[in-house]
Amino acid sequence: MISFLLAYVTITLFAMVFLGIYGVVTRSNLIKKIIMLNVMGDAINMLFILIGYRLVFPVFPPIYERHLTFREFIERAVDPVPQALVLTAVVIGMAMNILLTTYAIQFYRLHGTIDARDIAEIVGGEGNESA
Amino acid sequence: MKRDVVVAVSFLLAFLFIAYAVASKNVLGLGGTDLRPLGEFYLSHAFAHEGLTSHSPEVVTAIVWNYRGFDTLFETFVFFLAIMGALSVLRLDEEQLKQARELEATMPHRQMDLIVRATTKLVVVMIVSISASIALHGHLTPGGGFQGGSAMAVAALLLFVAFSKFTLERKGLTLGHTISAYALGLALILATVLAPVFLYGGRVLQINLLPGETGLFNLDVGEYTAVTFGFLTIFLILGIPEWIFKVVLRRELK
Repeated sequence: MISFLLAYVTITLFAMVFLGIYGVVTRSNLIKKIIMLNVMGDAINMLFILIGYRLVFPVFPPIYERHLTFREFIERAVDPVPQALVLTAVVIGMAMNILLTTYAIQFYRLHGTIDARDIAEIVGGEGNESA
Repeated sequence: MKRDVVVAVSFLLAFLFIAYAVASKNVLGLGGTDLRPLGEFYLSHAFAHEGLTSHSPEVVTAIVWNYRGFDTLFETFVFFLAIMGALSVLRLDEEQLKQARELEATMPHRQMDLIVRATTKLVVVMIVSISASIALHGHLTPGGGFQGGSAMAVAALLLFVAFSKFTLERKGLTLGHTISAYALGLALILATVLAPVFLYGGRVLQINLLPGETGLFNLDVGEYTAVTFGFLTIFLILGIPEWIFKVVLRRELK
């Protein structure tokens, strides 16, 4: 049962990753691209956390408590390394998000569109004129 | 159209292949009962080695600030660069800012109705206290500076929606103040990082030399302040109504 649940969650997360890539590739609206990038990033972070999980019955967070013996703690606690990696990745994802969103908003204010095809036209057109 | 179909089908095939590999071959090694060697090393060394680690019973925090300290430090730096990049794209010069202020003054003062405002007041107090709890206990419990700061930014966003940007600015939360507070948070982080060098003759980021939990606590509080006011700065700039920005910017384009 538990292995079925694990496989189910993992496959759902992989589906989200591929959905994210698909959305980034096929949508032409920049905001939709950013949303799908977020969906993909969050699914990957979730996968990382899932890799750190252990199938022992009373499973503890990796926080040392006084009433535990050290042996018990190491036998029961989940893997802290994926969590530490994700902690960094979340912040970087947020920073990237801020930057992309502000660029999209500013582009809309200046040119009135955030469609990728129109942007290619606008940028290409100006390049040709100046050349 | 035909290209879209090819893209969709190839994505589906790749997904099916990976789903098969994960579900029936277990290539990721999910659901094991024993710990990986690296995880075991961190679990056993994070707190037990007095004098070597940053005095945190929470292993994730210990890894993040002690074994991967530079990673976390430069992650703060990346966040700083992102905020500065957004600011430099969105900023208006003196003349445009004056023009925007004049246009804002002509606008009718809008805010949401009484029920929303009263509820927001209650909820914001709760969010602020919870975010402070997350951030200030960051070295003992799950969470930390960034998580607390993000929660705090949500409270600021609620205030923006229910009241308005002008209400906040009248209370003294102007762009200059938020940027100063952001710089203050970054300065606290920098001071904590450099303190072991100047006070104890250690190396950069050797925060286990500082007494007790001071190092981790200072870093958490600094990150909390920096993230909160970094987000607030961006929100304040994005809070200028869209049509004012358009009028000011498009006029410049001509």
